[in-house]
Amino acid sequence: MILESITVSNFRNYNNASINLSDSVNVFLGENAQGKTNLLEAIYVLAMAKSHRTPNDKELIKWDENYAKIEGRIIKKNGIIPLELTISKKGKKASVNHLEQKKLSQYVGTCNVVMFAPEDLNLVKGSPSYRRRFIDMEIGQIQPVYMHTLNQYQKVLQQRNALLKELAKQKIKQLTMLDILTEQMIDLAAEVVFRRFRFIHLLKEWALSIHSSITRGLETLDIRYQSSVPHVLEDMDLSKIKAEYENTFERIREREIERGVSLFGPHRDDLKFFVNERDVQTYGSQGQQRTTALSLKLAEIELINSEVGEYPLLLLDDVLSELDDYRQTHLLHTFKEKVQTFVTTTNIDGIDHEMIQQAASFNVNQGQILEPCD
Amino acid sequence: MHYPEPIAKLIDSFMKLPGIGPKTAVRLAFFVIDMKEDDVLEFGKSLVNVKRKLVYCSACQNISDRDPCYICDDSSRDPSTICVVQEPKDVIAIEKMKDYNGLYHVLHGSISPVDGIGPEDIKVTELIQRLEDERVKEIILATNPTIEGEATAMYISRLVKPIGIKATRIAHGLPVGGDLEYADEVTLSKALEGRREL
Repeated sequence: MILESITVSNFRNYNNASINLSDSVNVFLGENAQGKTNLLEAIYVLAMAKSHRTPNDKELIKWDENYAKIEGRIIKKNGIIPLELTISKKGKKASVNHLEQKKLSQYVGTCNVVMFAPEDLNLVKGSPSYRRRFIDMEIGQIQPVYMHTLNQYQKVLQQRNALLKELAKQKIKQLTMLDILTEQMIDLAAEVVFRRFRFIHLLKEWALSIHSSITRGLETLDIRYQSSVPHVLEDMDLSKIKAEYENTFERIREREIERGVSLFGPHRDDLKFFVNERDVQTYGSQGQQRTTALSLKLAEIELINSEVGEYPLLLLDDVLSELDDYRQTHLLHTFKEKVQTFVTTTNIDGIDHEMIQQAASFNVNQGQILEPCD
Repeated sequence: MHYPEPIAKLIDSFMKLPGIGPKTAVRLAFFVIDMKEDDVLEFGKSLVNVKRKLVYCSACQNISDRDPCYICDDSSRDPSTICVVQEPKDVIAIEKMKDYNGLYHVLHGSISPVDGIGPEDIKVTELIQRLEDERVKEIILATNPTIEGEATAMYISRLVKPIGIKATRIAHGLPVGGDLEYADEVTLSKALEGRREL
């Protein structure tokens, strides 16, 4: 899909700005604090109806104004779709094709985006919770039922932890209840883990080849889902995962009662990345970590294409300058034909020249956008 | 505005009811001043009686005006099945169906360790005592299809099975008479899971 044009009003530091976009690469050029990222954010918000930077929608509205509005025209295979999103202090209103959508969930998904920002380095470097959230959000986009299962799992986990805490204090003796909650938890946990395995399997297919081509075949990436319960492996079916869970929980029962908390489960699982058989989180260089995160994000693009049937928009916030020439060129070339890309940068010098010459570049200066200076 | 004490007290009492704010409470209180004395007396009596005369049935634990309640006392009902529900409201819902002829048991809640509610805090012991009656052949677990309701049903079934009584769980899935397209994804996937051969 292509974002043909975008108009923002009262959004962050913009009064009123409207631009027509190129269908391959768009570069937003400017000094710090001029509104480059705000522009990418506007595209992200137009697609997802929420910001990647803040959970508080009011921050998106320009100071002293009552509402912010973003309009865009999306070209898809089956036609042009105008999108409109108004954010006021009372809430959000979204329309597709000039028809207001009662539920935001019906609006989100009309336009897909993948963003890569400096924070995404946390995918590799950060705590396991980042990686679990990444997996959960992605599966949730493709399979809505997954979110329900995950939610149920978290509820059972809370109940089970509350019971274990009481058992640890030896206040009560309710071992039957513990058995029941364990059984409930295993049923849901196995399903969560099973769906995660399938997702990782799909993601891996794309990420491995992308990583190899970004690194000129010098690096081999591997992604492994690390289950907190031992002997749970990727090619297992649901009943086998369940059996392993049952074995483990049987074995650790006394320890769990002693500690008063659930020791294993998908809420303790992690993803591990290996480059040339070495753990990237521990032994990888800053550059390798960044490339790994990038490969994952680019794999997401292919995954969305295979699920939705159209490529998403790619938003690159201030990351080009951090990649070496070859990686930059490769990145922009791979997706030049297929994916409409938006890039922010402070300095054009660090970026592949041939690419920049073909790209539409916009100068961003104090909330004003100047059309391509070609 | 300073109200005379009797009115102020009445306003305060009305405000204890759900859905009644200060303004509605004032309106209701002033309405009571204009009511006939007989009606007011009747009203007051009803309020007290609902507290004093309402009892819990010693068999099924449902609210009733007599013990045993009219369902447990009805000899035309089948004592071999007991339908276990969470709240008195659920009994009314099932009775509306007019298709169930067994007895009930009201738990008054569900097991939820997070809220500090264990099996001993709901009427499970009373249920197990009822099973000593040899006429009981089956209990139907009709607790809510939530995590807590499901856990409560499982808990009771574990206690009941060793006694040799059949424990069944009500089904969940699509509402009857609805269109498939309007069902949400989760309900649909549950319905698909519980499909049966024709």
